[in-house]
Amino acid sequence: MAGEDGFKKLPSELQLQLATTAHVKYIQSLDARKDDYDYWLTEHLRLNGLYWGLTSLHLLGHPQALPRAETIDFVLSCQHDSGGFGAAPGHDAHMLSTVSAVQILALVDAFDELETRGKKGGKAQVGKYIAALQNRQTGTFAGDEWGEEDTRFLYGAFNALSLLGLLDLVDVDKAVDHVVACANFDGGYGVSPGAESHAGQIMTCVATLAIAGRKDLIDADRLGRWLSERQIAGGGLNGRPEKREDVCYSWWVLSSLAMVGKTHWIDKDQLAGFILSCQDPEKGGISDRPGDMVDVWHTVFGLAGLSLLEFPGLQPVDEVYCLPKSTIERVLGK
Amino acid sequence: MGTTQQGGSQHGIARTSRARTEDEKLQELAKIEKYRQLEDQVRFHAAQNNYTPEVFQLTSKLLRLNPEYYTIWNVRRRLLISGLLSKPSAGSSPSTASFSTSPTATTTTSSDASSSSLSTATPPAPASPTAGRSGTTADEDGSQGQNKDFDILKSELGFTIPLLLESPKCYWIWSYRLWILRQAIQRLQTSVARRIWEEELGLASKMLTKDKRNFHAWGYRRHVVQQLESPELGGTSMAEPEFEYTTKMINADLSNFSAWHSRSKLIPRLLDERKADDEARKAFLDKELGLIRDALNVGPEDQSLWYYHHFLMLNLVSFVGHPTITPAFTQEDRVTYVLREIEGVKELLEDYDDKLIYEALLDYTLYLCQLEERQPEAGERADLVVWLRKLMVIDPMRSGRWTDMEKNYGLMERRLSMGDETVALVH
Repeated sequence: MAGEDGFKKLPSELQLQLATTAHVKYIQSLDARKDDYDYWLTEHLRLNGLYWGLTSLHLLGHPQALPRAETIDFVLSCQHDSGGFGAAPGHDAHMLSTVSAVQILALVDAFDELETRGKKGGKAQVGKYIAALQNRQTGTFAGDEWGEEDTRFLYGAFNALSLLGLLDLVDVDKAVDHVVACANFDGGYGVSPGAESHAGQIMTCVATLAIAGRKDLIDADRLGRWLSERQIAGGGLNGRPEKREDVCYSWWVLSSLAMVGKTHWIDKDQLAGFILSCQDPEKGGISDRPGDMVDVWHTVFGLAGLSLLEFPGLQPVDEVYCLPKSTIERVLGK
Repeated sequence: MGTTQQGGSQHGIARTSRARTEDEKLQELAKIEKYRQLEDQVRFHAAQNNYTPEVFQLTSKLLRLNPEYYTIWNVRRRLLISGLLSKPSAGSSPSTASFSTSPTATTTTSSDASSSSLSTATPPAPASPTAGRSGTTADEDGSQGQNKDFDILKSELGFTIPLLLESPKCYWIWSYRLWILRQAIQRLQTSVARRIWEEELGLASKMLTKDKRNFHAWGYRRHVVQQLESPELGGTSMAEPEFEYTTKMINADLSNFSAWHSRSKLIPRLLDERKADDEARKAFLDKELGLIRDALNVGPEDQSLWYYHHFLMLNLVSFVGHPTITPAFTQEDRVTYVLREIEGVKELLEDYDDKLIYEALLDYTLYLCQLEERQPEAGERADLVVWLRKLMVIDPMRSGRWTDMEKNYGLMERRLSMGDETVALVH
């Protein structure tokens, strides 16, 4: 088992190293790719990308590799008067980028800057923006004023509001009821009531219940079984039955297993081997499957997965927030 | 943030070490320049609130280049409601009561937005939902505006089709399309809006033919059906045709868990609406069990099938507090059925040696004990130990789970009697 004998059981060809230096360089280079068409096409993910990159760096033990002051300046430049954040300056406010903003400010310990330099109202205004997106009838959340609803947004709201200490702005019980309504007979959860179980949505639902202190509502055994069946030959995890493996599920599935105390229900060594084999050892970064193009999204969820597996050389990650445990301890006083 | 947003990430594109040539670099820079110019133009006009058809065309151009650009979809929405679509006028709108909540207010909260489209508490005025308004003639007040809106909304639906075909997993396109469809409910006669929504089933089917597991398309289909069933569109239940649709999808490909899942969700409603009596319910269960058993006979390695079989078994053994297929079954009926399924699964072992078979045998034997509120008997115990041992050999990936099961059900004491081989397998 991982952690007990330090991954000695990996087959020799998978005795792979964590390419820490290359990963740090890769993340540092992300904002210098302005001659890449893709850089411009992905501007709607800029704030999310900063969260993914910065979390990666913190997990790799290089929290200073991106300049703190510029990071805070950029985050604050994305804020709207409503309190919400857009993905980049000039982009509309949205739940997804707002949550990333809160997570980044938590990472770099800058809630006080939000208070002094953010839009009028500071933290409270951010909380107000998020809380207004709750559907008070059903308890779930929309992503923005245009009304798309999804358990991703519900989790995002709980994640950010709890970090800000403002969870009391929303109807927690209603939200919990909604999550319960998304449960399926197989123990998993979907994007909305009636929807098929999906590992990504499971993570959002289970983490929401964890933040609300209602993990008692989870059928841990049945869910754990469904999640453990996500590991397929080769060691990687898929997101639904009969689908291909993908590094990002190393996070969605594994963190969910961690929240119900069942990470030992899969083969940790094989999973670590799979994630490591998806690294680009020279240029850094992690891809969805071995040999594919890397991106910062797969990089952070690969690293966070390795961290949950207690792979040597990584800082411990919090399975509910996908932030370093040290950040959560500092912010929530845990 | 930690959510399943995959836009912009690289899925399934092979890594390349080839450096770009000078020529390619120049081409890329020119492409960037063009893109950024277009972006600047749209943003400039949006900031000035220039709600003109020309700006609208610019958003089309930009969204074709980048359908993930959510802010531009929002600009497009604002262009529509602030200038291009007709202004709402009291009395002409089919659903004036819910109309006032969202179209012009960009600060509308989600609860407003969703209640305006989903609330059944707001009956469409003035005609009754079932009568519809198909008899409305063109010279009635506001109908010209409705004609124009109809054309615009149809054109918007057309605009998103090629984008969806190219990016079937892009959340923003799906959500924009639904927003357009909600506008149809708010702005058009019920019968007209209904026809538009009905056509969406065709799109959902088309997308699911291209990718039978696309959960965006399944979710979209579920949403469209819910809307078509709502009083807002003068609808009635579609459980029967939707159930048939899952049959069709399953017949085309047994390994479609999305279809099996959808089926499991439709069954309780279907039986209620059929007003199925005890006999009909029993016959229904028999038919479903027959269907899945036939499927398992050819694909016992397929998780999709086993999940559905489990679903049917849970209907038998876990029947308190939620709807089941056969609520009137006696304890004896339930035991008979579970035993029969266990025997059926055992028969699979004659031809196959798949781990899912052993898992099912373990589960169903424990279900039986649970049903009879007793501990496993000696014979069952011996079986459980054998199956668990088998699982430890053929599925070592999940050895932690098998070990937990062994502990939880007290299946350890027999282990020693089976010799060193087993002991060695359990670490």
